[in-house]
Amino acid sequence: MLKSLDPRVNRLSIPDDFEAPMAAKEQLDQFETYQSFIQTKEGKPFEHAGTVHAPNEEMAFLFAKEQFSRRGTFCHALCVVKTELILVSEFTDNGQDVYDTFKGSYSGDTSASFEVFHSVKRGKHHKHIGTVEAKDFEDALLASKETYPRDKPVFNVWIAKSEDILMSDEEDADIWNTLKEKKYRDAIDYKAADRIKAFKAEQG
Amino acid sequence: MNQNAIKDLLYKMADDQLILGHKNSEWTGFGPLLEEDIAFSSMAQDKVGQSWQLYKILNELGESDPDTVAFMRNAEQFHNSQFVELPNGEYDFSLIRHFLFDTAELIRFQMLAESSFETLANLAKKIKGETKYHSMHANIWIKQLGSATEESISRLQDSLDKSMPYALGMFEVSEFEQDLINEGLFAGEEALKAQWKTKVTEVISETSLILPDMESITPVYGGRYGKHTEHLQPLLTEMSEVFNVDPTADW
Repeated sequence: MLKSLDPRVNRLSIPDDFEAPMAAKEQLDQFETYQSFIQTKEGKPFEHAGTVHAPNEEMAFLFAKEQFSRRGTFCHALCVVKTELILVSEFTDNGQDVYDTFKGSYSGDTSASFEVFHSVKRGKHHKHIGTVEAKDFEDALLASKETYPRDKPVFNVWIAKSEDILMSDEEDADIWNTLKEKKYRDAIDYKAADRIKAFKAEQG
Repeated sequence: MNQNAIKDLLYKMADDQLILGHKNSEWTGFGPLLEEDIAFSSMAQDKVGQSWQLYKILNELGESDPDTVAFMRNAEQFHNSQFVELPNGEYDFSLIRHFLFDTAELIRFQMLAESSFETLANLAKKIKGETKYHSMHANIWIKQLGSATEESISRLQDSLDKSMPYALGMFEVSEFEQDLINEGLFAGEEALKAQWKTKVTEVISETSLILPDMESITPVYGGRYGKHTEHLQPLLTEMSEVFNVDPTADW
């Protein structure tokens, strides 16, 4: 039996020898991804927080809540949207406004509602800018170009259909009221820096 | 206020949270997917944190400090229900236990928000958000896997059938039950069980799972009075390993 310092591993009774080679994994063994956005305070814009894998949007919400909205992150509301349902615009170098690259003009059609997110610099999170009405994704980009004046160049735009977004319920906002005292969760007083330095020195 | 009654209530709640928090934390690094590993571990830590808050109230009522109470007692001095000390087994069992326990946890703390013991009522209000998320997490998982594939349904069904006698054991009444009710400290296990049944039935009815007939099941009692399975003492020994090596160790 495989011996470990972790008693949980020992309880798994793993044999010393594995059958080699291990069985091949199925090619697609991961769930699809969802993008999550956090609103830190009522009235503030939603900002992109990160990606989670999940079988559906409800579970994506569950996971996003624990991945991205605790440990000192203030959160008032959270929303998720399936990655493949987001239209990602071209990227520019940071000097050029990506909107300048969109040709054509907004149709004026208001049949669908879209949420617009801007990233103003490479590496910066996308922030919610507002909601536009248009006939499709491309049209929404043009609507956004007309609607939102820009004093600084926009690096990249995300567009998502409003109806594709799963938003936390207002009445559930209290799930972010957790115990303030979280010291037991952190290893802040665990001083290992000296030992790590010594180890590195030893390794040369 | 009947001190013995309130202490008995606090001990059984704190012990449940500590033991289940520890059991659930055993999934850290072994979860079915990374996101769930993080979420489940995080909720396990919430439970340990809640037990600590309850032990702190006990400390204010004259009991030893939380670390001593958590790590220095033997199995027969613990008041947790036997349900929480059962081995994790496979994830289906942990999920069913999480669902059955956390549904009760949410309702218990909602009831305690009305307690005449203000310190406890305030704590119950403070952790309302945490317990609400726990229950939301459990409900969504059960609804998802409870109607997904043949394997997921039969696994959950087996765990549900196996769990039910132990789950009903959570509501074993205290010797001070009537005092708790009369003094408005806690509306009592029977009232809690009734609300719990309603909620559990509601969630299960949205799945392909069949709820066992609770009236014909004999609950597994004893935990609240220090009678435990053979699983608790080894768990306590493992939990207190560091404390026993160096009782003054601190982060």
